[in-house]
Amino acid sequence: MRRAGLAAGVAVAIAALGAPLLLGRGTLNDLWNLALAVVLASSWNILGGFAGQVSLGYSVFLGIGAYTTVLLSLRGVDPFATLVPGALLAAAFSVVIGLPGFRLRGPYFTIATIGVGEAIRVAASSVSFTGGSSGVRMPAGSFEFGRNYLGMVILAIATVAIAALVRRSAFGHTLAAIRQDVDGAEALGVDATRFKLAAHALSAGLVALAGGLYAINFQYIAPGAVFDFRLSLSIVLMPIVGGIGTVVGPLLGALVVSTIQLKLLELPALRDSYLFIYGGLLIAVILFEPKGLVGLARRIVAALRTPGATPRAADAR
Amino acid sequence: MARFLTVAVNSLLAAGLYAEMAYGLAVIYGVMRIINLAHAGVMMLGAYLTLTLFSGLGLDPFLAFLIVGPVFLALGMGLYHAVVRRLPHGGSTPTMGSLLLLFGVWLVLQNFAYLMWSGDTQSILTGYTMKSVPVLGVRVGIPSLLVFLASGASLLFLNLLLKTTYLGKAIRAVTQNRDAAMLAGIDAEAISALAFGLGCAFAGVAGGMLATLYAFTPDFGRSFLLKSFCIIVLGGMESVTGVAAGALVLAIVENSLAVYTAIPISFQDAITFAILFLALVVLPEGLTGLFARAPRLRGAQ
Repeated sequence: MRRAGLAAGVAVAIAALGAPLLLGRGTLNDLWNLALAVVLASSWNILGGFAGQVSLGYSVFLGIGAYTTVLLSLRGVDPFATLVPGALLAAAFSVVIGLPGFRLRGPYFTIATIGVGEAIRVAASSVSFTGGSSGVRMPAGSFEFGRNYLGMVILAIATVAIAALVRRSAFGHTLAAIRQDVDGAEALGVDATRFKLAAHALSAGLVALAGGLYAINFQYIAPGAVFDFRLSLSIVLMPIVGGIGTVVGPLLGALVVSTIQLKLLELPALRDSYLFIYGGLLIAVILFEPKGLVGLARRIVAALRTPGATPRAADAR
Repeated sequence: MARFLTVAVNSLLAAGLYAEMAYGLAVIYGVMRIINLAHAGVMMLGAYLTLTLFSGLGLDPFLAFLIVGPVFLALGMGLYHAVVRRLPHGGSTPTMGSLLLLFGVWLVLQNFAYLMWSGDTQSILTGYTMKSVPVLGVRVGIPSLLVFLASGASLLFLNLLLKTTYLGKAIRAVTQNRDAAMLAGIDAEAISALAFGLGCAFAGVAGGMLATLYAFTPDFGRSFLLKSFCIIVLGGMESVTGVAAGALVLAIVENSLAVYTAIPISFQDAITFAILFLALVVLPEGLTGLFARAPRLRGAQ
């Protein structure tokens, strides 16, 4: 089963890397968006899914990455060389938030992250080095879509690989212990805050890398776009829809959510209200299948294996 | 001195407004240990209903609560029976599921409003919107004054309801210990539904009052939601009087910073959210917890 999953993953990765040879620019653009969604969903899942710390402030890290790239590029640094400083900055900032923030448990941590995200968005719109609310533009002549596409696809593959490795490592098992029973884990000698901080920093760094590539591809960023609350929301929604805490779940979620968004944005009537669908999805998943598409698939497989026995909803909880 | 009076009067008025927004959140949290993220959406719908009543029937926005209150009581109870009831009751702390579920409800409400009324900015302009009266030498807008009075009346109403009626006592019993309340014969399920309805009714009325002061869109309410959280955290999460105290603290901090420091007004929200973060981390039991802790610390020395 695991070997089959690995083989499928490698096949998808090779197909994605080779896609520019066969597909047109429009399709590649959609694939770039999908790769971005995969990076965001899978990195969020390292903290939110594996460690169970649900943060609604992840656009902050995307914004830090994007702004580092644009501001350094404007000072003459090669755009791709700015990615690592952006990731380090975001990781450092995640520690600054996490040190006080991880004293809070469950929903209180979530509320605090909404506060941080909004505070950063408002502050970024009011100071001058971010270009205020009108934003900043990359220096001219730094755009090359082929390179941008490969950059995002490679990052997506790396992120999923890192998530898979984390899940199987001692680090990942410790995060799972923290998610299931933080007091129990601490009683066994686990320094829960340190592990949460490490997971937060890792996922923040990956999101910031995506933020840098986002800036390189769109050439223009503004606080209203990169620090958008709706962005933080989509980042959370994808793993939840797909199956929180699994490696495949965020991939499925990214595929479903970005497809929905792409199709809906084509309908002018729904351009303002695509979040309607997100809200409905969120309600449906929480009420009917808290483990997302992965949980649903497992239930179907289990039902097929034991003919005659119908799965009861209560078993899934 | 004149500057101090300005800060004092403006803080009081802002505190009235903030408390009005936060009562509903505190009632729901107290009874169900649910953080109602849909609060912002309910406030926004309250604003639109008040606008509809005002432009359609000519009903004064400050009398609209007579209709908005019952409508949102029913809406809240309906919402409780449709979705909230299905959540497992999670002990003494809110569950992640309840947070995300109500977040989904908020998104649905918000985008329902986009479909109904589009994203255009709306506002309620009455004959007295631009009029003001002097209070202690400070010019005060009439709508702000009315909101303050309404907030005082709400505080009185909620305290009377919770302290003197059977319903209120039952709500407080469920707040303190759900299982013991059920053993004493209280229908905790019905009380929860009523409390959720009451919380939504207050949110809807607060939304209507906010609409007399601010222009609004379907996205209305997010920053007010975070302010409300800040207030109920400062107020110790449960008591309505605590909410009023928390609102006063937040309003004084905001107004003092705006007048006595060089921090630009556009930073105000950022500071509020920073206070929310700090309050959650430093004061998990709210201001009342701080006061309760102080004698203990002195005793320890």
